[in-house]
Amino acid sequence: MARATTVSVMKQGKAVPWLYLLPALIVMTIFILYPMFNTVGLSFGNADGSASAETTCREGQPCWGVFENYRYALTNELNLSNAQTTWESFWISSYGNMVKWLLVMVTGTVGIGLIFAVLVDRIKQEALAKAIIFMPMAISFVGAGVIWKFVYNYGTSQVQTGILNAILTGLGFEPVSWLSKIPLNTFMLIIVGIWMWTGFCMTLLSSAIKSIPEEIIEASRIDGATNFEIFSKIQVPIIAPTIVVVITTMVINVFKLFDIVYVMTGGNFGTNVIATRMYTEMYTNAQYGRGTAIAVILILFIVPFIVMNIRRFTKQEAMR
Amino acid sequence: MKQKRTLWTLLAILLVASLALAACGTPAETTEAPVVEEPAVVGDIDCTGVKAGDTLSMLYQWSGEEEAKLTAILAPWSEACGVTVTPESSRDQALLDTRVQAGTPPDVTFWNVTQLSQYKDKLVDMTTLGANAANYAGYWGEIGTVDGRWLGLPVKADVKTLIWYSPANFEAAGYTVPTTWEELDALVEKMAADGNVAWSMGMESGDATGWTGTDFIQDILLVTQGPDYVSKIISGEIPYNDAGVKEAYQIYGKWAMDPKYTVAGAEGTLSTGFNDAILKVFSDTPEAYMVKQSGFASGTLLGTYPDKVYGVDYDFFGVPGAQGLQGGSDWLMVFNDTPAVRSLIKYLSSDKGGQTWAEVGFDLTPNAAGNASYASAEAIKKAELLSGATGFTPDIGDSIPGGFGSAEFSGITDFVNGGDLDEILNTIAAAQADAMAQ
Repeated sequence: MARATTVSVMKQGKAVPWLYLLPALIVMTIFILYPMFNTVGLSFGNADGSASAETTCREGQPCWGVFENYRYALTNELNLSNAQTTWESFWISSYGNMVKWLLVMVTGTVGIGLIFAVLVDRIKQEALAKAIIFMPMAISFVGAGVIWKFVYNYGTSQVQTGILNAILTGLGFEPVSWLSKIPLNTFMLIIVGIWMWTGFCMTLLSSAIKSIPEEIIEASRIDGATNFEIFSKIQVPIIAPTIVVVITTMVINVFKLFDIVYVMTGGNFGTNVIATRMYTEMYTNAQYGRGTAIAVILILFIVPFIVMNIRRFTKQEAMR
Repeated sequence: MKQKRTLWTLLAILLVASLALAACGTPAETTEAPVVEEPAVVGDIDCTGVKAGDTLSMLYQWSGEEEAKLTAILAPWSEACGVTVTPESSRDQALLDTRVQAGTPPDVTFWNVTQLSQYKDKLVDMTTLGANAANYAGYWGEIGTVDGRWLGLPVKADVKTLIWYSPANFEAAGYTVPTTWEELDALVEKMAADGNVAWSMGMESGDATGWTGTDFIQDILLVTQGPDYVSKIISGEIPYNDAGVKEAYQIYGKWAMDPKYTVAGAEGTLSTGFNDAILKVFSDTPEAYMVKQSGFASGTLLGTYPDKVYGVDYDFFGVPGAQGLQGGSDWLMVFNDTPAVRSLIKYLSSDKGGQTWAEVGFDLTPNAAGNASYASAEAIKKAELLSGATGFTPDIGDSIPGGFGSAEFSGITDFVNGGDLDEILNTIAAAQADAMAQ
């Protein structure tokens, strides 16, 4: 009797899970799959999606046929007249800025987050110190952008209301226009990003460090390891999987970055990133084809990192 | 218990009484013979052909305070002629497009100048409707005429081609208001020689940063080239990388990038907010003597310095030497020719209509009859500037669709930030050609 019940449950098993999944699948289809396919479709169309992108080609201009929006998205910011101008224009294009953001912000947040995680692990007021570093995460991005805009403010009169320029002029230096000087401005924006996201990295890394068995640390101390050796040869290798997950998460975050740039410079002065450019094409210029082509390129950049994250995740699940 | 009964009795009596009253009332109204009123001229308002109870459907973009102003302006007409207006307010042009395509447009709409050519086949000629052209400066007719037909009545305008200054500061330093471009140029040089900063040019405005710069460029073009040239840039006949445009950028750049001429030089121009730039001219320790800005500048400065007096602490003059003005305008266009619509057109283009518009003070009216009726001396001066102008051009960036506007904005910020001018103008011209091809 008991056996018969089990069998009948097993038989039901083929259809029932799908039934349970159905609501989620419907929601996924409507809100994720449909918009995604629609985006890809629009990216091959003209400004309002009424005709093929090919129709926007002009005589005597380079044209990639139906991929015309992709030609625009990839090359329009570049000055292709010679190798040097191409290189120079690349570094202030949205793609060049993305490289700067990725390199500096990811290493900055993960690096500083890791150092803090290790340092606060040893002090009494750990919770307080962590809370202070985590605090910026609680502020909205737009709010943070506005706050930092005040910090970087460039006053034209003798009175500098921006704290950074107030310090500079107080020490007898000339004030600096932080947000319009290329390429300084992008790095000033990256500092805001690091300030916001370091707490997030620190929290994840700190919990990983806490999960290292105390015996291993004690054993290495008995063997005569210095603090630095414990950090570099014991702690970091053990939490390496977590570090990789934090890095890939941050990479995805940086690719999606929009708020800080939009609020602080509006993408001007060579600070555009992919997402702000997408927004401009889409909503300011009403060029749906171009906007969605940039969106598709952004998706293509992000997908490998999402795959990496999911793989790592399933591996960890399998180990349990 | 007894009290309660009394209450019910009272209520019953009241109910019966009201029924009886209603019963008496209704037949009294219906027995009255329907009087078909055909008022011809009521006061100054011509209502010829309008029947009492006529309705007029209307679509416009204004809401809130602006909508209330329009209602106040239309009130004398709708009361005199007994027309019931059924207005709708929407900023969505798609709504208008859909209605027009479906063959159910509103009787009239207040919309932008570009819709005149867009709907030219569906609009009724203003001459047919009895509009009074005599009250409008000649250029309004030119702008409103498409394929030889006058299709739109300009109802509202604002002026951008203004330079704001402080008469008190000018007097203290011994400067006089320039009347020609050469005099303006000489004044700027004189200020620089005196060690004074002439301009406050801040252009920061979030993701629209740069618009004060492109406004300035367009005003320079109105001086050096004239309104026809500007119109040809909008229509695409003149490419944006033309020599005339380049010259305007160079004139602008000479001032906007040099701390000798403008507050904090290029960096000040790029990082100062456009509202702050206005205030810098009128603060207690002014940082500059002039700011080129649209009509709203007085509102901004009074918001911060409510004690400032027009004519003493602040004033303005039109950009000297400008052959025409730059600004925004709203147009009344007609889809259905009815007596009510005719009376509306006659009213708005009449002396009375212009005066009422000015009295209510909804920006400026292009109807010159209203010139003296504004409540403030400031508005009267602006209106005189408007009716005395030799041309009127819309904002170039707003008039070209697609990516042109944002290309123009980022172009001028890059230029002030030290970018290569030829390359920048080529990029903007490419966006212009792009828009023309579509």
